[in-house]
Amino acid sequence: MAVLLGYCRLITAVNRWLAGAVSVLVFVMVAVISYEVVARYFFDAPTVWAMELSTLLFGPYFLLAGPYLLHTAGHVNVDILHSRLPKRTASGLDCLTYGLIVVVSAVFIYQSLPVAMNAYNSGETSFTAWNPAIWPVKVLIPVAFFMLLLQALAESIEAARRALTGEVSV
Amino acid sequence: MSSTLVLAMMFVGLLMLLLSGMPLAFVLTSLAVLFTITLWGVDALVLTVLQTFDAMTSDILLAIPLYVLMASVLQRSGIIEALYRAMELWFRRLPGGLAVGTIAICTVMAAMTGIVGAAVAAMGILALPSMLQRGYDQRLALGTICAGGTLGILIPPSIITIVYAATAQISVGKMFAAGIVPGLVLAGLYVAYIVIRAIIQPEKAPRQMDGEVNLREMFASLKSLILPTLIVISVLGSIYAGIATPTEAAAVGVVGALISAGFQRELKLTNLRAAAMDTLRVTTMIMWITIGAKIFVSIFTGTGGADSLLLFIEDLEVNRWLVLLAMMLVLVFLGLFLDEIGIILLCVPVFLPIIDAFGFDPLWFGVLFLITAQMAYITPPFGYTLFYIKGVLPDGIGMETVYRAIVPFLILQLIALTLFILFPDLVTWLPDQIAKPAHS
Amino acid sequence: AAQDNPSVNWRMQALWDAGTTPYEYEKKFVERVAELTDGQFQIRLFAGGQLAPSAQAFEAVRAGAFQMMKTFDGYEAGSIPAFAFTSTVPFGFPEPDQYEAWFYEKGGLELAREAYAKAGLFYIAPTVYGQEPIHAKFPLESLDDLKGKKGRFVGLASTVMGEFGVATTGLPTAEVYQALEKGVIDLADRGDLTANLEAGLGEVAGYVIVPGFHQPTTATSYVANQNAYNQLPESYKAALEVAAREVSSSLRQHIMAQDAVALQKFEEQGVEVIHLDSSIIAEGRLTAMKAWEKAAGDDELANEVLDSQVAFMKELGLME
Ligand code: NA
Ligand code: NA
Repeated sequence: MAVLLGYCRLITAVNRWLAGAVSVLVFVMVAVISYEVVARYFFDAPTVWAMELSTLLFGPYFLLAGPYLLHTAGHVNVDILHSRLPKRTASGLDCLTYGLIVVVSAVFIYQSLPVAMNAYNSGETSFTAWNPAIWPVKVLIPVAFFMLLLQALAESIEAARRALTGEVSV
Repeated sequence: MSSTLVLAMMFVGLLMLLLSGMPLAFVLTSLAVLFTITLWGVDALVLTVLQTFDAMTSDILLAIPLYVLMASVLQRSGIIEALYRAMELWFRRLPGGLAVGTIAICTVMAAMTGIVGAAVAAMGILALPSMLQRGYDQRLALGTICAGGTLGILIPPSIITIVYAATAQISVGKMFAAGIVPGLVLAGLYVAYIVIRAIIQPEKAPRQMDGEVNLREMFASLKSLILPTLIVISVLGSIYAGIATPTEAAAVGVVGALISAGFQRELKLTNLRAAAMDTLRVTTMIMWITIGAKIFVSIFTGTGGADSLLLFIEDLEVNRWLVLLAMMLVLVFLGLFLDEIGIILLCVPVFLPIIDAFGFDPLWFGVLFLITAQMAYITPPFGYTLFYIKGVLPDGIGMETVYRAIVPFLILQLIALTLFILFPDLVTWLPDQIAKPAHS
Repeated sequence: AAQDNPSVNWRMQALWDAGTTPYEYEKKFVERVAELTDGQFQIRLFAGGQLAPSAQAFEAVRAGAFQMMKTFDGYEAGSIPAFAFTSTVPFGFPEPDQYEAWFYEKGGLELAREAYAKAGLFYIAPTVYGQEPIHAKFPLESLDDLKGKKGRFVGLASTVMGEFGVATTGLPTAEVYQALEKGVIDLADRGDLTANLEAGLGEVAGYVIVPGFHQPTTATSYVANQNAYNQLPESYKAALEVAAREVSSSLRQHIMAQDAVALQKFEEQGVEVIHLDSSIIAEGRLTAMKAWEKAAGDDELANEVLDSQVAFMKELGLME
């Protein structure tokens, strides 16, 4: 039991750190886009990279924060029935729905690995005037879903514990 | 498997999983995975990954974190609270004054962005705390923000309008112009409703009537308008002067908000960190739902979920107005589980030849379509706006409150829809005026 | 006989939105395939982006989500450099017939097949059509006029236009109208003349420049999943190729005819149509070649494709 709870805490801590790390990217996007606006309008010198760079940052920004949001219940749900269920029944149901997220994450990982590998092996670039590598963005998909799988597993364990003991979270 | 059965199964599956309390983003992906395996084939599961990648590289949706960050910085630096204090003083005599002011801010926001998620989330962050704090009825406040937030579909710029124009092959500019009057009419209806409601039930929209308010205090409060106005001017100005695209203008708005926070001496690391976390949370919530919706739509289309409905419309041989009604109903029904862009790609190519054959104006139909899309966005149990707003609610307000909040505004939209069907000039007058030559 | 003619059902994703002219020709394509196989080979057609995002359709067909697609090779040029030349070449072949001849007479088809084979995909055949226009807010009479202007171009064209002094941005298609309207950019490429007319570009840009030297000719591709293709009887494979070649010429001729109508409508709108002399494409070709070579890089197949096209251009007298 202690091992399981330790696992839950560890995964949550890692994902929390990940979310904290990507949260600053929004300021980078603002800076890059503002630079582009100034360069184009005032100096007639638009860059070939600014808009594309901010687009490339956007995906990792929200994808890597997804797992932590699962822990904070930040992914919106419909609570109409759920909030009326007895606490332990609700926890049992949560255990199942988090389990389903584990399965779906596994499907995503299995499906995205070949896509990521193809992109990596061909050194995929965007074929624009700037032409940056875009395989890193594709590689992040299995990574993010792996972290989601671990977090969903942790939440499922937590929910099972609540269902069995009737306690609220630690 | 028959298309009707697919449709029924998807609808029921969606409802059941939603009721289990599973987050919407994963309800959509789980169902899509399940239906792909059972109705299409394991090979098609790769679509989940491709849609994810596509959402990750969307240069249009990039505006979401920018607008949310702008709202959060303004809120955390007290600028919005000061604005609401000023509105409170000035709108003292106007029943429901703050909600009316909120609709006005929503209308301005609608002119800045075409992304509904960005507008609704930003308005939720901006307006909700100030309204609830002053004892406004939860439902009135929520309904106001949800309905106001969707005005951005009609008032240009608007992504859905661009997608409709592209699919229907009509000019983006005319389509934009066609949305302006209907958008303002809707905003007017919302204001009228709020005022009437506040007169009948003053307790739902309390006013700060006690205490003498002197003129000096009122005019001093106007200072709070300066910073927000400058930000609005910088955003709208950079769009209309050709300095920035709508997405870029959002970044201009963030810079404006940061500078304003600096003037208020609120540009602190704690505020910035909190605003960054707000932004990450809201953007992540919206984007994971977007991924789920994109996957769900492509599986729905691939397995032929809408085929029987669309065939039914194509084969309908009745009065033209009944056909129009049937098309609207199909749109609202599909809006129960698809996102609006998916609906456009699915329905518009089927509907337009019919529209043409019956001699309806595709521009006018486009506006009806957009209003219907707007209704679909807020129709319980499943409207994306409802989920976005729930994502920014304080703890303790559940989905049920959101559902109840929206009903009167849905009825108002229905009234507006009827109005535009009866008086098509409201829609077509403005675009006819600006059918201008290109040389400039 | 049933043994020889099994019933086959495929899904295919087109490149364009439903209701557009090129999409109507994809309908003709699937109808023709059915007709040629006595109705035994049915291809269910989806519009661009309906199943997979257009730029990602490549991976979807590779994985077998659907069996075939109409695609634009340029989408994948970032991973397979040869595709830079099998889709559209800025300042490339000025006549679609020349480009199509490269495919069918000069080994282009085999080279394209080789490029696709690496990805587990089978290249059936191209659809080749003529120029796409440039829409500008200023009168563009020569390549010198490009200097210092802000333009929207994608793919290899953005690099090439950069060589002529255009500051390029890759705005999304959806933002082209507004960006021209507000003057964020001075010139842009978007789609063919008819599509751009319908999108209202004439309301926001006063000049249409034809031919668009950034895209003098275009080839889009019918591509199938290799496994699915291997399982087809020979006669079905032949049906795909026959239908593809028919659509290529019929769509090309249709666009050519429509272009004249569209240009007239632009002029009625008050837009000035600038017809550039054909020599202008030849003039810019040498500069563009630097960008071609850069795009081919050190990729063996890409260089083979490029050399083969350049050799044919020389034979045609398009280059020294
Ligand atoms: Na808008
Ligand atoms: Na809905």
